[in-house]
Amino acid sequence: MSLARLATTALTAAPATSILLPALTTGTLTHIRHISTSPRPPASALAPTGTPAQRSPLPRASVPLPSQEPTKGVVQYALTTLDQMANWARQSSLWPMTFGLACCAVEMMHLSTPRYDQDRLGIIFRASPRQSDVMIVAGTLTNKMAPALRQVYDQMPEPRWVISMGSCANGGGYYHYSYSVVRGCDRIVPVDVYVPGCPPTSEALMYGIFMLQRKMRQTKITRMWYRR
Amino acid sequence: MSTPTRTLKNLWKIGLREYIHQMWRIGDTKAGTLVGTDRFGNRFYENTTELPLRTRWVDYVKFDFDASQMEPGWHAWMAYNQDAAPTASVKQGGMKEISEEHFGREWIGEGMKPNMTMTRGAYRPYNTTVPKIETWLPETKARGQ
Repeated sequence: MSLARLATTALTAAPATSILLPALTTGTLTHIRHISTSPRPPASALAPTGTPAQRSPLPRASVPLPSQEPTKGVVQYALTTLDQMANWARQSSLWPMTFGLACCAVEMMHLSTPRYDQDRLGIIFRASPRQSDVMIVAGTLTNKMAPALRQVYDQMPEPRWVISMGSCANGGGYYHYSYSVVRGCDRIVPVDVYVPGCPPTSEALMYGIFMLQRKMRQTKITRMWYRR
Repeated sequence: MSTPTRTLKNLWKIGLREYIHQMWRIGDTKAGTLVGTDRFGNRFYENTTELPLRTRWVDYVKFDFDASQMEPGWHAWMAYNQDAAPTASVKQGGMKEISEEHFGREWIGEGMKPNMTMTRGAYRPYNTTVPKIETWLPETKARGQ
């Protein structure tokens, strides 16, 4: 039963009210109460962007990114070592799920040929999403293909990454104004690395893979678990 | 291609310290001549007896390296766009004069920056047009009044 149905039953059915009202009051459905009674918050509090004066008063350079924070304490050093081992294993056996949709896929195939030789990086194309870590979306994603893309992404085991290859996958590209094309595959799946180009060269895709490996190296797996 | 004899031969040439450094950085044992150094300090080597496309390599200054950290001219040399190093003159197949002529440009001169993604210096696209989507805030009156 959805939350809205639950709320409706709670308000209409008298016998169920005594059972369901605690659930309503103790916080599970607070957002519904918030909508119904609270006054409208100021728009500046909700706007995702604003003028520079409305943004955070801190200068941007003063706040380090989570990947740039230094290591502090014995536990963090130990967990950093664990993370480095896990990240090393992840970045050196990167099995991509090839989602070749258009001409970008040809450049992706060139990556596996002897000139660029992805096998030396531990990259092996897998046909099954259940055995792969990375999905390389190469080409135009049409509306018809979008459910299949999402399903394949959902079938991939965690941890999983997505490389959006080419301008069509990045933002629709040449077919941005077409009636049948998704304007960027990040509307369907979360994307880690965008590789620009139409189509990107194999070197560009390889550079994108290197960027993804850098992102993997900076991932705090056990450190985030410890922080929680 | 690496064989034990090649590895030992190169190890004999470069020494144990450089061998450990190379295995840590590039995972191979290579011996060659130092062609030059760019202004960031990356060192570029060449050995024409290696297999094709493996004859030129770079020893980066930073441990977390990527290809955008070398100078554009040296990158062209690494990608086999140029026969000679960018420090050589145009007549010798290099691009010394071209580099000097274009050095004032941002992408090749002092303004050349490595890839700043995943740092605070990363490029962030911004929009200057009026947003097409207005956020909707539901306003409902309290019931029973």
